[in-house]
Formats: sequence, C-alpha cells, structure tokens
Amino acid sequence: MQYQVAFPTASGSRAALLDLVQMLLGLALVVFMYLHALFVASILLGPQVFNALADFFERYYLAQVGGPLLALVFLTHFFMAARRIPFSQQDQKKVWTSTRMLAHRDTWLWTVQVVTAMFILIMGAIHIWVVLTDLPITADKSAARIQTGFWLGFYLLLLPMVEMHVGAGWYRLGIKWGVIKSSARNKAKRAEYYITGFFILLGLITLARFMFVSVS
Amino acid sequence: MNRKLTFSIFRYNPQETGSSPGMREFRLEETENLNLFVALNLIRETQDPSLQFDFCCRAGICGACAMVINGRPRLACRTKTAELPEKIVLMPLPGFRLVGDLSVDTGAWFRSMNERLRSWIHTDENFDPDAPEVVMDNQVAEEIYELDRCIECGCCIGACATAQMRSDFMGAAAMNRIARFMLDPRDKRTNREFFEIVGTDQGIFGCMGLLGCHDVCPKNLPLQDQLAHVRRKMGRQALKNILPWYKN
Repeated sequence: MQYQVAFPTASGSRAALLDLVQMLLGLALVVFMYLHALFVASILLGPQVFNALADFFERYYLAQVGGPLLALVFLTHFFMAARRIPFSQQDQKKVWTSTRMLAHRDTWLWTVQVVTAMFILIMGAIHIWVVLTDLPITADKSAARIQTGFWLGFYLLLLPMVEMHVGAGWYRLGIKWGVIKSSARNKAKRAEYYITGFFILLGLITLARFMFVSVS
Repeated sequence: MNRKLTFSIFRYNPQETGSSPGMREFRLEETENLNLFVALNLIRETQDPSLQFDFCCRAGICGACAMVINGRPRLACRTKTAELPEKIVLMPLPGFRLVGDLSVDTGAWFRSMNERLRSWIHTDENFDPDAPEVVMDNQVAEEIYELDRCIECGCCIGACATAQMRSDFMGAAAMNRIARFMLDPRDKRTNREFFEIVGTDQGIFGCMGLLGCHDVCPKNLPLQDQLAHVRRKMGRQALKNILPWYKN
C-alpha cells in the first residue's frame, strides 16, 4: 500500500485574517509598550513632569478610554497568538524535543515568547487592573505602590518579561512580513538585543527612582 | 595522529519484530577529507551490514542522505567529519515516516505536498509542437531557477518546530515551490487560486517565522525572503477577498 501524507484542503480567509489582525495588534502593542516605558521614565525628570504627563492623558480621556481599550487589545492579542501555543502535553513534548535538538537561536526565541507571554498575561492583567481602578495616575500613588510589599519584586519580574516579549515580537513580525530581509537579519537581531537591553535598563532606573520619591 | 571518531547512531527497524528504538555506537579512525557519507559506508561494509541509510548522488544533488547530524538536519555527503567533534550523533530526519535506522521516506511526503500544491504549470493554451519556443525573460528565468534548486531533501521540514507539531503544515519546501509557480509567466493561475492552496493555516499562515528552515537549507535557498514574499502576497489577497470593491 502506498504511504500517503494527509494535507487536507482548508478554507484560508479566516487563517489569513487572524494572522493580519494578530500582526496589527502586536505592532500596536509594541509601539504602546515602548511609549509607555518612555512616559513612565518621565519620573527621572521629576514627579512634576510625571504628574503633568499623567494629567494630560487623563484630561483628554486617553487613560480612561485608552486603558480599557488597551486591555481589550492585550487580551485579543493573546487569544490570536494562543492559536500557535502548544497546550497539549504531546505537542509541547514535540516542540521541546525539536527545540532542544536544533539548538537554534530563533526557535529558542519562540519558546521565550511563549513563556514570557504566560507571565505577561497574568501579571500584565494585574498591573492594568491595579492602575485603572485607581485613577488618576500620580507619581505619589505609583511610588507608594512600588515602595509597598511585594510590588517592587512584581515589577522587577514583569519588566524583563515584557521587554523580551516585545523585542522578540517586533523582530518576528519583521521577519514574517519581510520588513527584515535575510541580508539584514543579523543586524536586526543585534538591534533587538540593544533595544531590549536599553528598555530593561531604563525600566530599572525608573523603578529605582520611584523607590526614592517621597510619598506624602 | 588521526582522531578516533565515535558514531552514535539511531537504530530501529519497524519492519522487524522485536526491534526496539535505541542508539548504537560505532568507532572509526578518521582519514583525510572523510565525509559522513563515506564514513557510513565504511561502517556498513566493515562493522554492520544491516545499517540502513539512503544515498544516491554523493554530491549534494539528490537530497537522499539528509539526516540529523549532531542536532542539525544536514546532508551526510556534504558534511566532513573534520567539521564535527569526535562524538557524532546521527538521527533520522523527524517529520517523515521512518523506513529504518537513518532512512526515512521523504518521497511520499513530497509527492503528497506537490499534489496538494498542484505543482505543475496550469495553462489552457494548446501546445503546438511546431511553433517556435516562447522565450522567457532572462531575469525571470533566473529567479525561477533560483527556487527550482530545491532538492527536496526535507532538511527544512526536519528543522521546523511547527511542522513537527502539526503534521498537516506544508512547510518551507512547499512555500518555495509555490513561489516558483507564482513567478512563472506560463502558469495562468491567479492569486485567488494560489490563495486557495496556500493562504491557510496549513500553508503560509501556519508559519511562525522560526527560520530553522532557512538556516539549515543545504542549498542555501532564500527561504526567509520567499516565505515573507508569499505571506505578503497572500495577505493582500485575503484583504481583496473580503473588500467589496475588490471582490470581483
């Protein structure tokens, strides 16, 4: 009997649209996360600058409307990307065996994306909830939170998770859609490492600064 | 002094009752310019005649001797032992039906894939054997030839974590193949027809961009750029399929 491999015919439009939407949401989140890091780092210029920026976002309802919208984009992005995550133990074993066998940088990078995604899903949701249920955002309140209990540890873990995920995310998008050509791949990879390193460092300095904001 | 190489080779014959999967070690003294294809033949001739592996051309053209060499899918005939450490671990290519030991059936996989892609020139023009041949633009011919260099060895499938997880995913070899027909002016299929074939999760939208395929291809095919090209083309077509002013 001749051996046959099953390649079933399948309707494509749904798969294509999901992929397009996943790309657009991912891109929007990358831009948001980098801007978010820069805005939060405004504390380095003083609590007044931080408060003025937060006030600006609230006066134009960017926090009140943008926040819940962001939460929606965040969850939708997870559901779209979850199509690719191996949830069954059998699939996890296959991917793990293949990844370990190959010892290939970009295949490992995907494992990093999946693992960080799980942390971000839980911790990001907690962060969004805590911030949006206690508007307005002020340097005073943020500093009080970071200086209390486990929150510093929480952000010290969330920060590298987010930056690694975002860095791997834009690199992967660039590769998949051809913005990064094969000739520029190594350069893009280096840029990803530097940018991720920069934002982790900026986040650490920002957190350190919050530790020293005197809470009234 | 020549190195003493240790080959740890996967052994299992699914046809043989009582055979169970495992690794077996063979030792061989390294000679100048020894490649894995010759080493495997020496082992089979002098140590174990039952060792199964495939080869044909010995020159990186037929793709039959693809296997996992120290974790990487490669061609045995194009791999010199001097590039490897003293311990060499050989496994069959994953993702294909195992024939025995290092031999896998890539042929059935590629046949099914090519049938699924309808991998031939689609034209309704009648062939006139007496008419002079239509000359193809040289640049187009070269672009097609670049993609036609695929030897269907299966290394790209063996190195793709997505293909390992999902057996219905057609992989980089298929996307490279369809890209070749997209370029060919003799093929009259429209983008909408190509979309029906590869605009799916089994096709280009199942690819996660891990690029194991690109990095192990023994023919150095431009798989990364081809996958992105097909994705952009099919992404545009997906939008055209739903936007009312493009629908017809």
